[in-house]
Amino acid sequence: MIRLIQAELLKIRSTRMWLGMLGLSVGFALMGLVFYIALAGVEMDGREALPPVTDPDTVRAFYANASGGVLFMMILGIVGITGEYRHGTITQAFLVTPRRGRVLAAKLVSYFLFGLAFGLVTVLATVAVALPALAIRGGSTSLLDNDVPMILGGTVLAMGLYALVGLGLGALIRNQIAAILVAIGWVQLVEAIVTVALPQVGQWLPAGAVRAITRTTGGFGGMGELDTLPPWGGTLVLVGYGLVFAVIAMVTAVRRDIG
Amino acid sequence: MLGDCRDWHDVSVIEVQELTKTFGTVRAVDGVSFTARPGEVTGFLGPNGAGKTTTLRMMLGLVAPTSGRALINGRRYVDLERPVVEVGAALEATGFNPGRSARDHLRVACTAAGLPTRRADEALETTGLKEAADRRVLGFSLGMRQRLALAEAILGEPRVLILDEPANGLDPAGIRWLRDFLRHLADIGCTVLVSSHVLAEVEQVADHVVIVARGRVLRDAPLAELVRGGELKVGTRQPEQLRRALEEAGATVRFEDDRLWVSGVDAEQVGRAALDAGAVLTELVEERSGLEHVFLELTRAEMGEAG
Ligand SMILES: Nc1ncnc2c1ncn2[C@@H]1O[C@H](COP(=O)(O)OP(=O)(O)O)[C@@H](O)[C@H]1O
Ligand SMILES: [Mg+2]
Repeated sequence: MIRLIQAELLKIRSTRMWLGMLGLSVGFALMGLVFYIALAGVEMDGREALPPVTDPDTVRAFYANASGGVLFMMILGIVGITGEYRHGTITQAFLVTPRRGRVLAAKLVSYFLFGLAFGLVTVLATVAVALPALAIRGGSTSLLDNDVPMILGGTVLAMGLYALVGLGLGALIRNQIAAILVAIGWVQLVEAIVTVALPQVGQWLPAGAVRAITRTTGGFGGMGELDTLPPWGGTLVLVGYGLVFAVIAMVTAVRRDIG
Repeated sequence: MLGDCRDWHDVSVIEVQELTKTFGTVRAVDGVSFTARPGEVTGFLGPNGAGKTTTLRMMLGLVAPTSGRALINGRRYVDLERPVVEVGAALEATGFNPGRSARDHLRVACTAAGLPTRRADEALETTGLKEAADRRVLGFSLGMRQRLALAEAILGEPRVLILDEPANGLDPAGIRWLRDFLRHLADIGCTVLVSSHVLAEVEQVADHVVIVARGRVLRDAPLAELVRGGELKVGTRQPEQLRRALEEAGATVRFEDDRLWVSGVDAEQVGRAALDAGAVLTELVEERSGLEHVFLELTRAEMGEAG
């Protein structure tokens, strides 16, 4: 099993795809963060666009930007499995290890670990920008208050779990482009709409779970106006999604003909 | 350097037993049985769409048979303890991530199989890809991809090799090299099964030939036996008389392109028949080998069906 995980990690490392996904993940997080930094406490049309940095909600919102990259972890997972079908390397994998369940298990473990690592890098980058910004603007620079450990730790976990969701989705759809489009459409469209229109449903979706974990209970600005699960509830929901899609990945890939 | 086949007296055979695969309503493979033995190159020959690739994929546990089974060294592929060490397989030349280097591609397999990664470099050397080892597969020609697939097949120094159309995309020098390589492996006791839709590739290297068309085995015989039944192309001014005389002599005769195509007798017997019949010969050529004849007939029948 260790050998198979090493092989998966070598597969990820030996092409440049992961670099692109890491860049997008970090870039997305920092882009959102810069936006928040720019608008926090700024007067627009006579009222504040966002509460000032002295408001704990704003501090939370700063760090919550780190979770903006979860979509790219999902895509990383999707590419991780659909790429094998697309290029036919799945043949190599199953020839070397005909017990397909082991290959899939190794893939799930590897992508979870990779997701965690990416999450860590994204979180560190976010902190590296958020902390000085908060210091300059007079906000809290404590990494222990305002649920910051929860937000950052939860983001790292969410990144790992989203990679699993991506693997399951990719194994199910198998066509790389289609799977990526479904993922983007889901995150940018379906979840975005449901979150606002039907928050009582939205809280049970992966995005709702991420909101619960990152303590961003509102849409924009972090006001508590949306139904949101408690952090532990969000964690459980997200772990549930990760496991369900892991099982989907297992079941679909193990049975199918490779031809 | 090459596949380690020193223990070739061990059982290293491929037994295919009544393999069948249906895709929807298409019976791609229909009760295929044959055996490939150590020390021999077995050619698995058939026109495109004959079911060769599907058969090989079933043998390797990639495609689930509708019925039947294939045993390698007495066991199903999925039950082999260390498959890469027992069986080397090269399927289509498409199984590479274009963004990965040749060496990394092989190292992935080595890592997963628990082989030392130096085997990757050795296999690249053997297949003549040493210079290209660190280049991404993206820029590889079809021939280079075939070599890389072959390198992958020999990573574990297996005694059984299963190769699907390995000569596709190789230049003449590459085909020559491949032929020598397969010959060498068989000579040191490996079991080599190689599929092809091109007769010439198989004819020059195979010891044994299994011919398939439309999912069924049509011939399964030593190459020598198939080649022996060759056809003679006979031109004559008196085709009817000669035909009768030849048939009396036990030959099988058909008429095509203004010639008689004669099998079952040799050139001397044709000469005698012509003398007896008083027929003037204008041409007497051993035009096609028996294998080519059999194969062309099958291929033609196949194309007739399709069109
Ligand atoms: N996955 C598949 N689904 C449906 N039909 C298939 C599939 N794979 C192969 N076939 C069909 O099975 C037949 C045999 O194909 P194949 O084994 O690739 O032949 P060959 O390798 O001899 O050219 C063909 O008619 C092909 O179209
Ligand atoms: Mg084929």
